[in-house]
Amino acid sequence: MRIVAFDTATSATTVALSGVGDAVYTARHDPLPGARPGHATHLLPLVARVLERAGVGWEEVERIAVGVGPGTFTGLRIGIATARALARARGIPLVAVSTLQSLALARPRVDAVPAGLDTVLAVLDARRGEVFAAGWRMDEAGEFDCALLLPRALAPEALAELVAPLGPTTLAIGDGAIAFREALERAGSFIPEDDSLLHRVTATNHCRLADRLQGSVPDDVRPDYLRAPDAEMAHRT
Amino acid sequence: MILALETSCDDTCAAVVTSAGEIRSSVISSQGVHDRFGGVVPEIASRHHLELIGDVVDDALSQAGGSLPDVDLVGVTRGPGLVAALLVGVATAKGLAAAYELPLAPVDHLHGHVAAAFLAPEPFEPPFLSLVASGGHTLLARVLDRGAEFEVIGQTLDDAAGEAFDKGARLLGLGYPGGPALERLARDGDPGAFRFPAGERMAGVDFSFAGLKTALLYRVRDLGAEEAERRRADLAASYQRAIVESLALRVERALVRTGLERLSVGGGVAANGAVRDRMASLGVELHVPARELCTDNAAMIASAARFVAALPYPEYLDLDVYATGERILMAR
Ligand SMILES: [Zn+2]
Repeated sequence: MRIVAFDTATSATTVALSGVGDAVYTARHDPLPGARPGHATHLLPLVARVLERAGVGWEEVERIAVGVGPGTFTGLRIGIATARALARARGIPLVAVSTLQSLALARPRVDAVPAGLDTVLAVLDARRGEVFAAGWRMDEAGEFDCALLLPRALAPEALAELVAPLGPTTLAIGDGAIAFREALERAGSFIPEDDSLLHRVTATNHCRLADRLQGSVPDDVRPDYLRAPDAEMAHRT
Repeated sequence: MILALETSCDDTCAAVVTSAGEIRSSVISSQGVHDRFGGVVPEIASRHHLELIGDVVDDALSQAGGSLPDVDLVGVTRGPGLVAALLVGVATAKGLAAAYELPLAPVDHLHGHVAAAFLAPEPFEPPFLSLVASGGHTLLARVLDRGAEFEVIGQTLDDAAGEAFDKGARLLGLGYPGGPALERLARDGDPGAFRFPAGERMAGVDFSFAGLKTALLYRVRDLGAEEAERRRADLAASYQRAIVESLALRVERALVRTGLERLSVGGGVAANGAVRDRMASLGVELHVPARELCTDNAAMIASAARFVAALPYPEYLDLDVYATGERILMAR
């Protein structure tokens, strides 16, 4: 199935196209440290680039998959608004993919992590001293066995308390695992080197997940904010 | 036909307008969720825009009896406004346009207010002086043609005129947004009962409303709660007159300065009856769009989209929004 997938929940803009031969066409943008993510300026040019490289037009796309977070509110809206507009315009089924679940699908190379890790904890930096996290037990084939921790926003210390009983077989990945490495390592989790690709959200995994998920009408795909808005006043005083 | 989207503040809007400026549909979904906060909360507004924009676009297209492949051009408000809110409209517009490789016209919100005057059935042709007054902006512009390059000759130095209405309404216990409530209350009052400053001593064509709000605050305090409550209608009428006179005085000066004899009024404040009446008394040829075209809407964005350089596919794919101040053409 030809799937166009993208995610703008983290600072990265990641795009993938699967189902054209065996190859997965990918493109991504990672902002320099401290720079704004720029999802609005990068997303559609990257989508156009993978379509062009694969020689595929929108009339040939069978499914669109979009990361629904959790993540930055504005990033989520840019991704979802774009996905809905494309799906609506072309009548293409849209699939909501959990950004955390996609992250958890990272397949570590055997030499990159210790043997025997059977639990994956996806952890994104939610700022304001919190993380977005979710955890799964994985089977031998590296597929999801069962959910251990449903997506939530919480303090890293609280997350550490939750994962400590899981013991030393937990792989923690994502920019939140890097940011709060100490607390999670103390709780027994293994965290790959900071520059490991395992920490990056990639739309390639969205394609893999979207292959198995149900498509829906565009407006049924909603952001997974996990947090209420701050009722801060924009009002100029 | 032109499909346009507008999400710069708290109204989610889509419209279909023909290249001749005939409005086929104009859908406005007002969120109304911000009243309890006493102002627009950007994150809440942006969440609602995302919830509403799909249905609003569908409604605009179906009311116009068309579908996306019938659209020749997509227009969208690029700024100024709330960044997170603008991004929902721009991402949607870019996605819709890109799916069919349609051209896209990025529109400045203020150009939209000016361009409301160019809509059928009675398009008002330049040259004219344009007063745009709303909760977000107050400006006077010399409009010589229908494009985006109009010359702003006056603007507010502090609050916008609509803000002055809202803040006055709050001081009189009328809630938010209080402009329409203040207008209703003022109908039962005497506009000459109290003297509030209309900025008569301030030369030029710039506006200032901060002092007016302070004057009302002191007056309410001096009267005491009971007396202020009893004379609420007089206070509202006198306060409203000061805003109206402040606008009228600068419009008159601007007409003299520019030598223009035609005036167009737009923005939410133009929906105020006292403002419309006062502008009509100036003795120049006056154009005020229908009320629903004065407040924020997407038909005005579609109208403006006809007169800006549209970006062909794929040039707009990386288009971003702007909050303020990036409109370099708005030279003073
Ligand atoms: Zn406006």
